[in-house]
Amino acid sequence: MSEPLVFFTMALAFVGAAAVGRLPIGISLMAAAVVGGLAGGEGVPVRHLVEGGFGYFDLLLIILSAILFMKVLQAAGVLDSLAAGILRAFHRRKTLLLLASMALVMFPGAITGSSTVAVLTAGPLVAPVLMRLGLGTLKTGALVAMAAVLGMAAPPINILVMIMGGGVDMPYVGVTVPLLLLVVPPALAIPLWLGHRELGAVDSEHLDDILPKSWFGEYGWRLFLPLLLVLGLMASQRFLVRFMPDPGLPVIFLLGSLLGWRSGRSFDFLEVTRQAVKDAMPILAILVGVGMFIQILTLTGGRGWIVVSLLGMPKALLYFAMALGLVAFGGVSSFGSASILGVPFVLALMEKNAILTSTALSLVASLGDLMPPTALAGIFAAQVVGEPSYLKVLRYCLVPAGMVLVWGLVVLLSAETLERILL
Amino acid sequence: MKGIGHWRGNRLTAAASLLLGAMIGLLSVSAFRGMWEPDPVFPSPWLTRKAMLADYHPALKNTPGDTEVFVFEGGEPGGSLLVTGGVHANEAAGFMAALLLVENLKVEKGKVVVIPRANASAFTHSEPQEGSPQRYGIEVPGGVRSFRLGARLTNPVHQWPDPSLFRTPAGQIVAGAEARNLNRCFPGRPRGSLTEQVAWGILEVIRQEGIGLGIDLHESSPEYPVINAIVFHEKAAEMAAVAQMDLQFEGLDFRLEASPRNLRGLSHREWGDHGGIRALLLETPNPVQGRLKGRPTPELVVTGRDPFYLKAAGLGRLFIPYDTAGAPLSWRVARHLAAVEAILASLEEVEPDLAVAWSGLPEWRAVVEQGVGAFLRPGTGGGPRTDGGGGVAGQAGGGARRPPQPGRP
Repeated sequence: MSEPLVFFTMALAFVGAAAVGRLPIGISLMAAAVVGGLAGGEGVPVRHLVEGGFGYFDLLLIILSAILFMKVLQAAGVLDSLAAGILRAFHRRKTLLLLASMALVMFPGAITGSSTVAVLTAGPLVAPVLMRLGLGTLKTGALVAMAAVLGMAAPPINILVMIMGGGVDMPYVGVTVPLLLLVVPPALAIPLWLGHRELGAVDSEHLDDILPKSWFGEYGWRLFLPLLLVLGLMASQRFLVRFMPDPGLPVIFLLGSLLGWRSGRSFDFLEVTRQAVKDAMPILAILVGVGMFIQILTLTGGRGWIVVSLLGMPKALLYFAMALGLVAFGGVSSFGSASILGVPFVLALMEKNAILTSTALSLVASLGDLMPPTALAGIFAAQVVGEPSYLKVLRYCLVPAGMVLVWGLVVLLSAETLERILL
Repeated sequence: MKGIGHWRGNRLTAAASLLLGAMIGLLSVSAFRGMWEPDPVFPSPWLTRKAMLADYHPALKNTPGDTEVFVFEGGEPGGSLLVTGGVHANEAAGFMAALLLVENLKVEKGKVVVIPRANASAFTHSEPQEGSPQRYGIEVPGGVRSFRLGARLTNPVHQWPDPSLFRTPAGQIVAGAEARNLNRCFPGRPRGSLTEQVAWGILEVIRQEGIGLGIDLHESSPEYPVINAIVFHEKAAEMAAVAQMDLQFEGLDFRLEASPRNLRGLSHREWGDHGGIRALLLETPNPVQGRLKGRPTPELVVTGRDPFYLKAAGLGRLFIPYDTAGAPLSWRVARHLAAVEAILASLEEVEPDLAVAWSGLPEWRAVVEQGVGAFLRPGTGGGPRTDGGGGVAGQAGGGARRPPQPGRP
C-alpha cells in the first residue's frame, strides 16, 4: 500500500473506532496504529508500538503529578481561599482582573514552556474567581486555555523555538523581544474580548454572596505553602539552573502535593490520589495512543509524505501550509509539530531572519495545543472549569486562536521590516 | 446502538488489561535487549593497544558510557590525531568510517586514537517516533555483518529524567533533552551526568594522549544547511581551507563552516577552547535521520535512496544535490575518509613536525566502487539479524557498487 493510502487507512480506522465504535480516543489511536502497521505491510509491529507509546513518558508523569497537585489544592481548601482573596482585591476592577488573570496563567507557561503546566497550576486559581464574577464556564475555560497557549510561547522559555533553533543551529539568544512582540498584543486583546462584556463588577455589599469559604483564618499563610513551594521550585529551574540540580516537574508536583496534605483542611490523601489517577487516565491514554500513531505513521512513510506534500505547495500557498500544517499536526503534538514541520519551514524561509521566522512559527505551532485529539490546553482547561466536553470550550477559543494565528502570520510576513527595526 | 465505549471496566477487564500489558512487554523485551550487546570490532593487526574510556576517566568504569579507545602508534615520532564516530549513534557513516579506520589502519608516523562508538549508550536504543530500524546489514567477504543503528541521544534508561532546561557545561541554556546529546555536553563534567562524564572522558583522552588534532565524524539530514561540510575551530582554519582545496581537486565539494563562538557544547568548539587542539567536524548527508524520509528501512540506511527526498530535491528544498542514486553509505563513508586524509595532508603542509602518516586505508574511490563491506573484516560472517519488528535488516551493498561520481551522491 502506498504511503498516502496507509495514512488515510489509519485516519479512517481512527474515526471508525472513535465515532462509530465509540471507543475512547486513546484506544482508537492505538487501534489505528495497529491497522496502519498491518496496512503498511509491517504486521503488528509490537516493538514499534511500545517504543512509540513511550514517546511521551516524561509528559505523562508531569500530567499525572500535576493533576494530583490540583486535586490536593482543591481538597485542602487552598483554591477556595485564594479565590476569596483575589475576589476581595479585584471585585470592582474588572479590566485589571482580566489582565491579571491572563498574566497569572501565562506565568507558569512562560517559565516552563508548557501549556499543560500553566493550565493545571494557575488555571484553578483564576477560574473560580472569573466564574463567580459572572463569566460563563466555557468562556472562562477558553480564557485559561488561550492564556496557557500564549504562556507557552512567551519568553523566557519557549521550547518550540528551542526545538526549531536546534534544527538549524540557531542559539537560543535574542528571542525575547520578538517573542514579546508576538505575545503581548494578543495577551492584552484576548481577555478583554472574551470577558469584558460578561464579567460583572460587584460592590462590597454583595461580595459576601459570591465569596467562597476562605480557610485563611484557620490555617494562615501555611495554607499557601504548597503553592509557594511549587512556584518557587519551578522558578528555580529557570533562574537557579546554575546553582541547583533540577528535581523535575513530577517531583516538584509530588512534593507540593505532600505538603498540601498537611497544610490545610484535612482530607483522605489516598482517595484524592485515586480520583486524580481516574481523571488523568483518558488523557494519558491519548498521549500513549498518539505516540504509537506517530511511530507507525513514520514507520510506514506517512509522515514524510505529509511533510513533503506541505513543502511542495506553491510559494503563495506556503504560508497557508504553515498555518494549516503546524496547527493540525499540533493535534498530535505541538513539540512534534515544531520539530517535524517547524524546522523545514524555517529552512524554507532562509531568506528571512531565522530568529523572527522561528519565533513567529512558534506562536502558530503553540496553537496546536488547542487542536483535537490531544488539545492538551483545551482538555485541561475544560477540566479546570468543570466542563465535561472540551470541544465546547474549544469553540470559544476559535476567534482568539484565529487572532493569534493571523498575528503570527503578519509578523512572519513582515519579518524583513521588523528585522530592521528590532534586531 | 451502544458502542463498545459504553462498556464499564470491572476487575476482570482490569486483570485482562494487565495481562495484555505483560504480554506486550514480554513480546517486545527481546527486541530492546537485542540492542544492548555491542557489535564486535576486529581491529587491524597493527593496533598498538586497546583501552577503555574508563582508563582515562575512571568514574565511567562499569557504566553504559564506557567505550573502546583504539590507539595506533607509528615507529616514527610525529603528531597525534583523535577521530571520533558515533557521537550520534544514528549517523551511520560517522561510526562506519571510524570502524574502517580501526579495522585497516597501520600508522607509520605519530599516533592515531579512534573512538568509533563515542556515545556507547546511544547505540543501545532507538529514538521513539522515528520508526528507525534497529539494525542494518553490510555485505562483507563471506557473509553479512549486522550493525546497530542507535539514536542521537543517550539511552534514557541510562540517564533519566531530562531536566526542563539544560545548562550545558559550557554555559548555554538549551532544551532539556539536549542533556543526553553528547555533542552539547563538551567539555563535560567529571562528576556530571553520564553524558557529561563521557564528554569529560573524551577531553581526558585529548589531554592524556597529547592529541593535537581532533576530527569528529557526523551526518546530518539533507534538508539541513550544514552538510557536506567541514566545520572548523579557528585554530584549524588554515588547515580546513587547504583541505577543502585538495578535496576540490579530487572532485569532492565540501563547504567550509566556521564554528560559531556562541554555539556552545559542540566538539568543534569545546575541543578547541578547552582541549587546546585543532578541532574539526565533518558532515555527510543521511536521509534516514531526516524529517522528510519515507519508510525508514535498513535498506535506506545503506542505499540512502528515498522517494520523498527525491521529490524534495525537485522542489529545491535540499542543501545537497540529490538524484535517483541517493546518498549511499559507501559514498558517505568515502567522503569522510577522503576528508580525513586531506586534513592530514594539510597538517603536514602547515605543521610538518606534527604530521601523522599511515597506510592500509583504502582510497576513497575504491570504497565508492567496491562498497564499505569490501574493507571490513569478515568477523563471524553471521547472517542478517531480525530487527525485532519482524523486518530483516540484512541489506547488503545496495547502491554501494556504483561508478565513482566525484562530488555527487
